[in-house]
Amino acid sequence: MTASTTGSAAVPAAARRPSPPRARTRRRSGGMREATPLTYAALVLTLVLSVFPLWWMFVVATRDSAAASARPPSLLPGPNLGLNMERLFANSTANFTTGLMNSLIAATTVAVSVVLFCSLAGFALGKLRFRGRAGFTAAVVVTMAVPVQVGVIPLLMLMEWLGWRGELQAVIVPFMVSGFGVFMMRQYVQQTIPDELLEAARIDGCSTFRIYWSVVLPALRPAMVVLGLLTFMTVWNEFIWALAVLTPANPTVQYSINQLNLSAFSRDFALMFTGAAFATLPLLIIFVVLGRQLVGRIMEGAIKA
Amino acid sequence: MQNLLRPGWRAAIAAAGAGVLLAATACGGGSGEADGEVTLVVDTFGVFGYEELYQRFEEENPGVTIEERNITDLADYTPQLQQNIAAGSGAGDVVAVEEGILVQFLQQADRFVDLNEHGGAELEANFLPWKWEQGHTTDGRLIGLGTDIGSMAMCYNVELFRDAGLPTDREEVGELWPTWEDFIETGQQFQEADTGASFVSTIFPYFNVLKAQEGDHTYQNTEGELVIETNPAVRGSWETVTSMAEAGLSANLPLWSDEWNAGIQNNTFATLPCPAWMLGHIESTAGDAGNGRWDVAAVPGGGGNWGGSFLSVPTQSEHPELAAELAILLSSPEGQLAAWNAANNLPSSEEAIDSADVQEFTRPYFNDAPVGQIYGASARELEPVYFGPDNQAIDDAFRAALESVEQGQASPDEGWQRAAEEAERAAGEG
Amino acid sequence: MTTLDRGGPGAPPGPPPGAGRGRPTTGDDARERRRALAGRLDAKGSPYLFIAPFFLLFGVFGLFPLLYTVWVSLHEWSLIGGNEGFVGLDNYVRLATDGKFWNALYNTIGIFAIAVVPQLLMALLLADLLNRRLRWSGFFRIGLILPYVTSIAAVAIVFGQLFGPQFGMVNYLLELAGVDPVDWRGEKYASWVAIAVMIDWRWTGYNALIYLAAMQAVPRDVYEAAAIDGASRLRQFWQITIPLLRPTIIFTVIIATIGQMQLFTEPAVFGTDGAMNGGTQSQFQTVMMLVYQEAFRYGNYGYGSAIAWMLFLLIVLFSLLNVLVTSRIRSAT
Repeated sequence: MTASTTGSAAVPAAARRPSPPRARTRRRSGGMREATPLTYAALVLTLVLSVFPLWWMFVVATRDSAAASARPPSLLPGPNLGLNMERLFANSTANFTTGLMNSLIAATTVAVSVVLFCSLAGFALGKLRFRGRAGFTAAVVVTMAVPVQVGVIPLLMLMEWLGWRGELQAVIVPFMVSGFGVFMMRQYVQQTIPDELLEAARIDGCSTFRIYWSVVLPALRPAMVVLGLLTFMTVWNEFIWALAVLTPANPTVQYSINQLNLSAFSRDFALMFTGAAFATLPLLIIFVVLGRQLVGRIMEGAIKA
Repeated sequence: MQNLLRPGWRAAIAAAGAGVLLAATACGGGSGEADGEVTLVVDTFGVFGYEELYQRFEEENPGVTIEERNITDLADYTPQLQQNIAAGSGAGDVVAVEEGILVQFLQQADRFVDLNEHGGAELEANFLPWKWEQGHTTDGRLIGLGTDIGSMAMCYNVELFRDAGLPTDREEVGELWPTWEDFIETGQQFQEADTGASFVSTIFPYFNVLKAQEGDHTYQNTEGELVIETNPAVRGSWETVTSMAEAGLSANLPLWSDEWNAGIQNNTFATLPCPAWMLGHIESTAGDAGNGRWDVAAVPGGGGNWGGSFLSVPTQSEHPELAAELAILLSSPEGQLAAWNAANNLPSSEEAIDSADVQEFTRPYFNDAPVGQIYGASARELEPVYFGPDNQAIDDAFRAALESVEQGQASPDEGWQRAAEEAERAAGEG
Repeated sequence: MTTLDRGGPGAPPGPPPGAGRGRPTTGDDARERRRALAGRLDAKGSPYLFIAPFFLLFGVFGLFPLLYTVWVSLHEWSLIGGNEGFVGLDNYVRLATDGKFWNALYNTIGIFAIAVVPQLLMALLLADLLNRRLRWSGFFRIGLILPYVTSIAAVAIVFGQLFGPQFGMVNYLLELAGVDPVDWRGEKYASWVAIAVMIDWRWTGYNALIYLAAMQAVPRDVYEAAAIDGASRLRQFWQITIPLLRPTIIFTVIIATIGQMQLFTEPAVFGTDGAMNGGTQSQFQTVMMLVYQEAFRYGNYGYGSAIAWMLFLLIVLFSLLNVLVTSRIRSAT
């Protein structure tokens, strides 16, 4: 159950296979076609469709439940956000405050841990010489392709046996490393850290760990930020495992909003949508901060595919 | 899993995880303690109406705080409770157990405190005899104290009945349908009047009422064997309710769905089986506009039961003594009356049923219907029904199948086939 | 894949620091030796220590549960009864004739198919639109991956409401257009479409960016030559762009396969009953939902594990097939 889903973000990085030589030679956009008004219209339409469900979520979150079924639908925000938030955080079915805190703690802890463990292993596999290195590297690559989600049943038994059923560490510890992270860090280490730098540190008498800590880590910072935030996103979004191992009393945020979705007596759309909006908010913040780098990463990976 | 690693490893792995997460584990569920302060957690579903009783218990036991964790839908509550009980952690100190799942817990009696050891044995007089019996294992351990019972009435929409030219007085309405055949006939009359509404919202709740009326067990017999093919209570009820669908009486709105709730508001259907706890739902859903629109009459076939619960104390509780005390208070005649007053959960205590609080209780919203009297009378006709260990999961399957039949996705035979197969899976006999 | 830089200098253990200073005392010698030893230990041991957390944690929480699934699947094993004995391949025999499993597999593959084909076509089209001299191109690119950076369950709740039978906005729009409302949860193929829309909403922009990057790597002169030969834009797109993008396209298909075969969150949230039945007749129950239902709703760990392992094998099979196809195509070019 290691955070393999992060791998989906990295699709392309995993596929650095040789491509036809012609595709390698990149050219500036010399003979590029001009965009027509139709191009813009199509792109704007796509943007509208991309944004609409989120906008709709926000609209209902600021109105009342009737807004969700009104005809014609009301498309502008209303005055009820404060009221809905109050009701959301007071709702005993959802335990939303606990869910939000749990998800923040879990996603942050896992992100930090993945970044540290993966940069450590990536450094060793990328720069250190030791017996079995090729084998270990290949093993990391293989773990990336393994759909570990399939092992949920024994993993749940393991959690029961450890007494972690319903406890927050159950959604943290199994995700603390990621093959994708190791691979990404290894690539980055090889690309950015010159051997001379390591050599010099070694001659100064630094231990290997010291070199990692004072030389490698600082140099990896940009990659660490991307990996950390992608990991945060994955853990924040994790659903099936939380559903299986946690309890309503101690949920993650996704579990918590699903409780509202299930509350069958009368599904309160204003409440559900307010919860959904809050569950999306931290990711949107990441998006605002990181949007540009994310685009860069996705595209950079693709070229090497 | 037990024999894979030596115990030392287990401790080491657990400690390693916990070490990383010192901050996180503080958020764990269950009962917590700080400086002699005790928090008792009560797990409930639906509406139990215990708030005042909690306050009283807290006042009588300084240092005790009670926290209620509530899940609305039983179908979500039960599996989570089962998992918590099986896992040995995560359950509350006092847990509400619906009668449909109680039997499964009776088979795991060692996971529950024997309330006889905490003064439970003297409480027999507090309960209807069958309710008292239901809470016992075969070897006499007392693990569940009764709370409410789901005695049955039929809610009907006065406006729609008037439009259809049917009587509207609750006595006369009750006389329309001594049996279910009469009920279906009335339904056909109603449909012919063409009010634009349907006679029933969905057939599933009728199935529940019918099968509880027609036998002393449902999907599984007392040995826990699956008997849906041989138990006439199940097959007969299936045929009766699917014939309602075939007669076009149903509005095909899945129970509890948004459309179903809207149907209560918009006069989309005319009748609804009403255990006492349903009244509160109708009132809050239909709101002020629906005041006086619904009334309460007798149910066809007489009596019947839908729902009803117990309180248990899991052995995993760190405060079994206090928890047992709380469970006894909540299930006492006094406690049951408080719940009746707060949420109209019909008491399982004869004393409480006979009290003026219940007998003289009328509900203004339902045209001042004497609901205490109606439900109290029905309660005395109740026969206890045995629910097997996999009742909830099988019930889910039957519900899905009945919905697929009424929505025209499957013929009654296909639906039955499907429900039967799913029941075998749920009972682990597949 | 194992393109290790064997020539890379790594970190050879140089001479221990201070070795040349030549202090004569024996105590210092001992310290020197200790240091040298520490240096060697460091150089020999550190790499293994560094990779240990990954392999240990992955081993315990990733690999072990995966393999133990096989063991559990060979037993009658339930939540309440625990391990009730070895039954060999019984669970798999049952699986082979279990209509519900085949239905779930049919749903999973069906949803995958109707999601992935339009998704990749739309992504190609979008990439082609972006691959022009365009104002605000950075803005459009970022906008396209907005759906990718949202909470899946939250968005599934919103879509669940949009596809509501009576009050949903989709049916409202259909009615405005004079089309009969659709029962998005009741009709099998309609439910697939609703779920596919959720998936595509999330992933189309993401794939468009991948294709865009690949398109930008295609040299201009190829097109210029084609243009001189009189090939139309459309022809250029189908005869030049698509073939050159083929490895990328196949790669995205593989990733989508692995991800979508385990599809869970969208359909699970879409079916609001919590029973994981995926509609009254399991119209949209996926294999992963069936695993969940068997194991965690019904407590059948053994049979649930058999389904899970079968899913694993199918994923491996599909991936291998894809790799095979990919290498065929590559050797053909």
